[in-house]
Amino acid sequence: MTHDQIREMVRRVNPIPDPSMLEIVDVPVLTTPLERRTEMQIDDRPGTEVQADRNRRRGPLVGIAVAALILVAGAVFLLTRNETPVAEPAPNATLLTREMELQPIDPGAYFVDTDGDPATTPRGTFVIEGAGWTGLAPGAFYAVTEDEAGLMVAEVDTVGAPACGSGAKLQPAGTSAEDLANQFAAAGFSIQEAVSPVTAFGHSGYHLVVEVPPGCDSDAHWVWMGPTFGRYYHQSPGQVVEYWFLDVEGTPVMVEASWMAEFAEEDVAQLRAAIDTLVITP
Amino acid sequence: MTSQTADRSRFEAIWRQHRHQVLAYCLRRASTADAEDACAETFLVVWRRIDEIPSAPKTLPCLYGIARKSLSNQTRAFYRRGRLHTKLTNLGMTTAADPMLVVVQSADDKVVTDAVRRLRPVDREIVMLDVWEDLSRTEIAEVMGMTRAAVDQRIHRAYQKLSLALEPVLEIRSIASPPIAEEGGT
Repeated sequence: MTHDQIREMVRRVNPIPDPSMLEIVDVPVLTTPLERRTEMQIDDRPGTEVQADRNRRRGPLVGIAVAALILVAGAVFLLTRNETPVAEPAPNATLLTREMELQPIDPGAYFVDTDGDPATTPRGTFVIEGAGWTGLAPGAFYAVTEDEAGLMVAEVDTVGAPACGSGAKLQPAGTSAEDLANQFAAAGFSIQEAVSPVTAFGHSGYHLVVEVPPGCDSDAHWVWMGPTFGRYYHQSPGQVVEYWFLDVEGTPVMVEASWMAEFAEEDVAQLRAAIDTLVITP
Repeated sequence: MTSQTADRSRFEAIWRQHRHQVLAYCLRRASTADAEDACAETFLVVWRRIDEIPSAPKTLPCLYGIARKSLSNQTRAFYRRGRLHTKLTNLGMTTAADPMLVVVQSADDKVVTDAVRRLRPVDREIVMLDVWEDLSRTEIAEVMGMTRAAVDQRIHRAYQKLSLALEPVLEIRSIASPPIAEEGGT
């Protein structure tokens, strides 16, 4: 088989064989003034000042965390040495990795490393049932007609302010679950359920439900970034987002469940089933 | 002409000349939403680093290199319904997570896309740059940040793997459409 034959066969499956077919499409970035885009200071995201700030914040916490871990481990040992060990949630869970991004995933148990680094904790474990799920490093989603219902578990280090409005700027995420909840509540979305204390998935924290209002669907709108979970997440008008901002032994962890307001209850049944199985372990 | 004006003029020239190639590059590798974001970010980087963007013929490989990094850094634009989505839908394109799924119209195509997908990520990217972006091997080396020799080696290896996977397809096609015997002769 010659290279030319192979090339021809591969050429045949080129999704965009001729870029000129995109002539009618507005290529982004110039749809908004360049200056405004540059003001967004996207380069300041993790890796520069924000990451440095995060690292500074985390420095003293590491020692405390290690000490706490030793104490907790000792306590757990003392409490459980004569008892049957408590099973970890879904012990056979599969790590959702970057390699699984946008790939179909089978029903089963999965876990997310909330900062995208398997070497660190916490982690969120959940079980998905039914077909049609697609993986994300921080979670999973499934399509319902043209839209999606999804679940993500992540640490947040940067938020867009305002998330829904022009001229969004990066802002370091709040360092407590309450601060983070208040930041998201001030993002410019329609508040469906105000920030309120909650205990969920084994941890205390704050609960918030928002709906993305009409008009919040342009390139300038983005919400949050995680340490390794890429840059930002667009929103669509009519999207309902339920947040839990939890204090997982000092680390604020965000759980985000999202669906469209017009979805029927059966459309979100799989999502709710997955949420019901979610456990966040420190 | 001020320096800023000159920069802007140069940026606009690059954008006019290459915007659709960069968008096509991204759309070949990512969902519409991700491609749109990666394309936007690519030109944002170009605008900021306009002094570092080489002149033709190295401009396009440089843009592909930036787009490639942007895509690899990206998780995805989640829950996205934009104008691009609508327009691409109207064009008969898709916002599917895997752009290659769009073009699978026959069992043979499926074999080809599966074979390409099974390549190592770097090898797959090199094959795509070779066949889909139609870059020279020197240009591929620039995009990938490799030596030309390394690109040659990887292309050789990738084509060997593709050959093994695609041989049955070619055989079936040969059986289905046997070559027409040449008439005449001495």
